[in-house]
Order: sequence, then structure tokens, then C-alpha cells
Amino acid sequence: MATTTLSPRTDSYRRSWVLDWLTTVDHKKIGIMYIVNSFLFFFLAGILALVVRSELAVPGLQFLDERTYNEAFTMHGTIMIFLFVVPVLAGFANYIVPLQLGAPDMAFPRINALSFWLLPLGGGLILSGYLFGGAAAEGWTGYAPLSGPNYSSGPGTDLWLIGLMLVGTASILGSINFIATIFKMRAPGMTLFRMPIFVWTVLVTATLILLATPVLTAGLIALFIDRNYGGSFFEPATGGNPILWQHIFWFFGHPEVYIVILPAMGVVSEVIPTFSRKPLFGYRAFVFATISIGLLSFSVWAHHMFTTGVVFLPFFSFMTALIAVPTGVKMFNWIATMFRGSISFTTAMLFAVGFLAMFLIGGISGVMMAEAPIDFHLQDTYFAVAHLHYVFFGGSVMGVFAATYYWFPKMFGRRLNERLGKVHFWLMIIGFNVTFFPMHMLGIQGMPRRIADYSPDAGWTVLNFIATLGAFMIALSILPFLVNIVATFINGERVGDDPWEGNTLEWATSSPPPAYNFDRIPPIRSERPVFDLRHKHDREHLAAEAAMTTVEEQA
Amino acid sequence: MQRLAARLRLRTVIRVVTPLLLIVVLGGCLIPPTPETTQAKDIFSLYTIVFVMGAIVFFGVEGMIVWSIIRYRRRDDRLPDQLHGNTLLEIVWTAIPTIIVLALFVISTITLTQIDAKSSNPAVTIEVDAFQWQWTFHYLDNDNDPSNDYSVTGTAADPPVMGLPTGQPVKLILHSQDVIHSFYVPHFLIKRDVIPFPAGQQDNTLEFTITEAGTYAGQCAEFCGDLHSKMTFSVQAMAPADFATWLADAKAGNTPAPSVSPPANATTVNITAEQIAFDTSTLEAPAGQAFVIHFVNKDTVQHNVAIYDASGKALFTGEIIGQGSIDYQVPALAAGDYHFQCDVHPTIMFGTLTAK
Repeated sequence: MATTTLSPRTDSYRRSWVLDWLTTVDHKKIGIMYIVNSFLFFFLAGILALVVRSELAVPGLQFLDERTYNEAFTMHGTIMIFLFVVPVLAGFANYIVPLQLGAPDMAFPRINALSFWLLPLGGGLILSGYLFGGAAAEGWTGYAPLSGPNYSSGPGTDLWLIGLMLVGTASILGSINFIATIFKMRAPGMTLFRMPIFVWTVLVTATLILLATPVLTAGLIALFIDRNYGGSFFEPATGGNPILWQHIFWFFGHPEVYIVILPAMGVVSEVIPTFSRKPLFGYRAFVFATISIGLLSFSVWAHHMFTTGVVFLPFFSFMTALIAVPTGVKMFNWIATMFRGSISFTTAMLFAVGFLAMFLIGGISGVMMAEAPIDFHLQDTYFAVAHLHYVFFGGSVMGVFAATYYWFPKMFGRRLNERLGKVHFWLMIIGFNVTFFPMHMLGIQGMPRRIADYSPDAGWTVLNFIATLGAFMIALSILPFLVNIVATFINGERVGDDPWEGNTLEWATSSPPPAYNFDRIPPIRSERPVFDLRHKHDREHLAAEAAMTTVEEQA
Repeated sequence: MQRLAARLRLRTVIRVVTPLLLIVVLGGCLIPPTPETTQAKDIFSLYTIVFVMGAIVFFGVEGMIVWSIIRYRRRDDRLPDQLHGNTLLEIVWTAIPTIIVLALFVISTITLTQIDAKSSNPAVTIEVDAFQWQWTFHYLDNDNDPSNDYSVTGTAADPPVMGLPTGQPVKLILHSQDVIHSFYVPHFLIKRDVIPFPAGQQDNTLEFTITEAGTYAGQCAEFCGDLHSKMTFSVQAMAPADFATWLADAKAGNTPAPSVSPPANATTVNITAEQIAFDTSTLEAPAGQAFVIHFVNKDTVQHNVAIYDASGKALFTGEIIGQGSIDYQVPALAAGDYHFQCDVHPTIMFGTLTAK
């Protein structure tokens, strides 16, 4: 399609900026609203994590009773996953994907606005349980029959269900939008195998959301019927089966893990080549690895159910461990990209390398738990808590911060302060390991997750205390980040359109980009159009490179 | 000069020894508890193999990451060689993890078969009845008469003890009265969920053979509501002969005491439990004479009424019941204030009983 026939810089009629943001259908403004909204929920759920960790610091109940504790960890998990990690990555995708494709906007701009506005509404409903006699307290997995009518009366759980239905609907609408955008809105020359890796990961993620989330929504509705209209999907007394809930939940829940990790992998695959000044090693292998992770993610859900005694262990065990293969391929590709590169340690690059180092640990502990007999010991202990945080936090959240530092100059034309950024990174990664590494040990020693209290004789006190200190260190690391954002808006360094020497199309327009994104689009002849543009006249360099390659081949 | 050399050597030693020490300490904390059943020993061996492989991958890959970022940090503005990939290399590093995964699958499946092997004739069979929020251990014998079986129900303050013989296969039938629980003993390196299946579906079972005598802590591992953390118990493993004595003693201790018929004019005090709460937080009873507490439990969750003095000593412990009612015969109390509670939910169901 023609990129745009109107000049994107045409003045529109004037109106207040508040109304402008509230009614916008511009993917960039919606993307920023997604990101801001998600970070607000992140801080809230982070405070809940501090509440949980404070209670666990020493044996005995110091601050909370059991019910309040259970509400706190339920809300922490629900909000972190459904209202932070998923939407914040969707926010970056919203902002970046049309730019990277050379498109003027998303395919369905109004649906895009709708899928954003459902998020604060759904999140508000989930949290509003606190105003009506207590929030949901069954864990983010909401296992039946604990979440059924007989064991969790009160509106908190109903509000949780309705809120999640809305958030799920937002995801489904968003995923359709991404798929349509990626297939129909690419600029001339942007073939599928010239798309940036970030776009590929968003495409696979959107497909996973489209296939998995409706299953969860159906399960949520079934549970709502059980609770309010006398249904018996999951009620054993009337012939329902609580295991059915687990199948439904994890059929969604495991692809969900890849929904939150794949876009973060995409971010890392943009950041590492840029700051290593090399193309991503094995682009096609990387694409196929992403697709196979997506496919495999639908055949592993029951590894969350090894201890239920009702699933066929060898199949799910094998498929789960098999995911380590495409994941390993990606890890090697990233390392090979850095190998013989010319690496600058910007904050974005630090977070990307942090992703590699931490996600690796989550991957290894994942393969350990994939072996069913080992899982019999580790399932539902703090080892699982450690594992999932190395994946979600060590993986996804590191990716989110890499994306924040990397694309901030594109969004606002100013670069975040690098010194404060590095303070943020080091505090966060040390705090993260101090918090979550000891949890591996607690789990191996047999401390179950989701307990409000533990015996002083159990021998878990020291490690719990260390974990709590680490949690406060993570909280502390957020301060330089916030200061950095504020300071950059007041007095940040203006760095032009392409501060990092990026490779992909978003760096070919102004920072911030105008409405409808591009005045004109450079020719797209590879997966690095902006690199090609930058080195167009660099014949000497090309010749030198050719000569170097020949010399090497001869050697 | 010599001093400098010594300092250098010391520094090298510190540099090498500190990380090594750290690795040993961290690694040591990543070893599971001593396995105390034959099945746990199999799991332990598998764990050791997988852990060592994981450690090799960890050090190998982290090493490559660290080396790459140190060795190839930007030194000048020259553009590095723009290498797009290498098919052979990519095939190799796809094949290596595939082989590791296959090998792990084979050994873990072997272990799985070993630990899942069922004994045709277990020496002891116990029905483990889980409820919000404690356990009942019901020892089944061969006479099909439940009235003379030994059964123990725990409370949060007094978790139950499961006596078991060493060296003999034990079978647990895992039954839940309400929500999903999980039977977990860390030293056995295993847990199995206790699931309320719909009618017609068999309860889960768990079989193991304990190897060493000792007391092993256990607790519920599947989140099951408010007092999940209070669902603790312990396993006391002893030689088969000791176990026989223990069981006989336990049975004897458990035979109901001869019932003291209450005086004809005994006062009756009413209390009801509903939605995990008592209907009152104050009770009044006559001082110096036995009385009856008529306790109605409207929940499917189990409750009781127990009376404690100011020092926390139990003066009377009512039997824990499910839905229904019971008349507790309470011995005479001296005038004063007492604490009463449901032992299953001591933190949320309690009040003051005044005798006067």
C-alpha cells in the first residue's frame, strides 16, 4: 500500500491534550498509555510483593492475618502477570511494530484503543474486591474447588473472574490486531523474512494469545456459572471435576509463559545486535526456533499437574524438556551475535545481557522440574517460585527494562540518563538474585509456597530473611529509575532520531515520530534497512569487508 | 619484591578460593534433604545427575556470555565482521541440547517406573483424610470393622503423628473432604495431591518404604485456603516391632473413655459454627459443676470446641466433627474466665467462656 498520501505533519484542529489522549487511536499514544498503565500496576503489585516478603521475613505472623496474606499474594500474581508483563510488552509492540513494518498505524486503530481501555477497567474490577469484603484469595491459578461457591464466598472472587474476562478480551482483540497489521500493513519490500525479530516474536505471541486466551475465558465463565448459577463444572459433590479446571487453566497458562517471554526475547534480539554492531546470528534459525517454541507450548500444559496423579507423565515430561532445544538455539544465537562484535555497555545492553544470564538459570531449573520424579519433590515449593521468577523477572522484566532504555529516545526524543540507568540495573540485578536465588534452596529443603507462616524449627529463617532484604533492594532500584524518568523529561539529553545506530525502520523516522510515522520509507532490501541506508555509500568498507572475509577463508 | 610476590599470590589465592567456596556453599544448599525411603533414594540419584548436568550447562553458557562481553567490548569505531550465521554451527548446537534432553528423558522415565511400582501387599494401609485445615490418619486393618481401627485427627495446635514401620511397604489412600490438598514429606522427596474426585473416580494413592527410623516433618503443599500453613503433621518411622507396640498403645489410648452420664439437671450451653465462625464470642456456664455444650456445626468444614485456661493448658477438648451436632460433656470448672476455640481454626474461631 501507499505509505501515506497526506503529509503526516498536517496540523489537525486544536483540542485539549487530555481529550486528545483519552480519545486517541494513534498506536504510539496508545502504546505509551499501555506502558504507563502497566508500570502503575507493576508498582502496585510490587508493593504487594513487599507485603508478602515482610510477613515471611521471620517466623510468626507479624503484620497480617492469613486471609490478608492470601489476598496479597493472589493479587500480586494476578496483577503482575495479567496487568503488567503481558500489557507492558503489548504496549511496546503497539508502539514499535507499525514503525518497524513501515506502517502508518495498526490495522484496526479503534479496536486498538478498545483493547487498551479494557485493561484499567478489568484491573480496577479485580482490585475492587478489597472494597467489597476482601479480594480474591485463591492464588493467581484460582484452583477449583477452593475458588468454587462452597469455599470462597464473597464477591472478591467474582470480581476477579469478571476482571480477568475483560483483560482476556483485551488480549484477544489486541492479538487479532497485531496479526492483521503484520500480515497486511507491511511497507513495500518488507517480506516476512525481512521483518525485524521483534515483529516475529510479536506475531507468534499474538497467535498464542488468540489460541490460548479464549480457553481461559471459557473456563472463567464456567467457574462463574458454578459460583453464581448452581453449575457443576468443577464441583465434585455434584459430579463436576476439579481437575478439569487445571487442564483448562494450564492449557492457557503455559502458552501464557511464552506469551510473556517471546516478546522479551524479541527485544533482546534487537538490543544485542545494535550494541554489538553485528547482525543477529542465524536470523532464520531464530525465527524457526520462535515458531517451534510457540507450537510446543501447546503440548506441555500438564507439567503443572505432575503431582495430581491423573496425567500421562512421560509425554508431558518429554515435550517440556524438548522446549529447551529451540530455547538453547536462541541462547547460542545471542552469544554468537556478541562473539567478535564490538559491544557498548549502554543500560539497555546491560539489561539484555542480564536477561541472558538470568533467563538461563530459569531455563535450567525448568528442565530440572520437567523431569517428573524431581518435580514430585519440587512442585509447589519455593523452588517453583524461584524458577518462575527467574523466567518472568529475570527474563521478561529484564526485557521490559531493556526495551524502556532502548526505545525511550524514540518515544520522547530524549535519552534516559545512563549513569542513573546503570545504578538501576546493578541494584535491580543484585537485589533480584538476593531475593530469588535463596528460594531455590528453600524449595529444595521443602518449604511449600503460599504459606503465610513457617515454624522457627524448620530451618528456613535465615534464607527467608535474606530473600526479604533482596526484595527491598529491588524496590530501592526503582527509585533511580523514577528519578531518571522525571529528570529526563525536565532536562534530558536530546539525542536526535537514531542515537544507537539502530538497524530497523523505527530509526528511519523522527524521534518522536509524527502522526502516521513516515514521510518516506527507505528501500527495504534486507532485515536491516537502516543499516543498509547508513552504509550505502560505504563502498570502501564493503570492499574491506570482502577482502577480510577472503583472507579469513584462506587462513 | 618478595612481599609483593606474596601479596600477589595471596590475591590470586583469594580470587580463586572465594568463588570456589561460594560455589561449594551455594551448591551444598541445592542438595535435597537426606532421602529416607527407597523411592526417595531413586529420586535423589536422578536429581544428582540432572543437577550436575545443569551445573555444567550453567557454567559453560554463563562462561561464554561473560567471556564474550569482556573480550569483545567496543574498543574503536571499526565495524566488526558482519557475520550472518553458520549452518554447520547451528546444526551442532541444535543437536547437543536434543541429545541431552533425550538422555534425561530416558533416565527420568526409568526412575519414574521404579518409584511408581506398586506393592501387591503393603504392610500398612492408611486412609489419609485431608480437610480444611488438618489431617485424619485412619489405619485400616483386615477385619473390615472401622470401629476398632486406630484413627487420629490433628489440630493446628496439635498436629497428628503418623507412626510407620521401617523396611516395609506402606500405602496411603489420599482422600479429601473438601478442596485439593497435597501430602508432602520433604525427606521422602515426594508429594501427591489429595483431590476431591467426583463419585466413581478412585482416590490417589502413594506407596513408599521407609529406610531409616526417625521423625520427619510434613505439611500440605497445595494451597487450600486460609490456614493452609497450619496443615502440618509428622511421620514417626520405627522398627516393625516398635511400630506394633506403638499401634497397640495408640489404639488403647484411643478407646473412648467410659462415658460419664451428665447429671440430670445439667446446664446446656448452645454454640453454633457457621461459615468458619462461631455465632458467639462469649459463653456462660455454671461454676463448679459439669455441664453440656450442645455444639451445632453447619459447615462441611470440620470444627470442635475446646476450653483452655489462662496458661494455655487444655481443660477440655471436644471431638472434631463435620456437619452435624454433638453434646460435649464438660467437667466442672472453677469460677473464672476461660478461653474457648475451635482447634481447627484457632486464629479465627475463639471466645471467652465465663464460669460463675
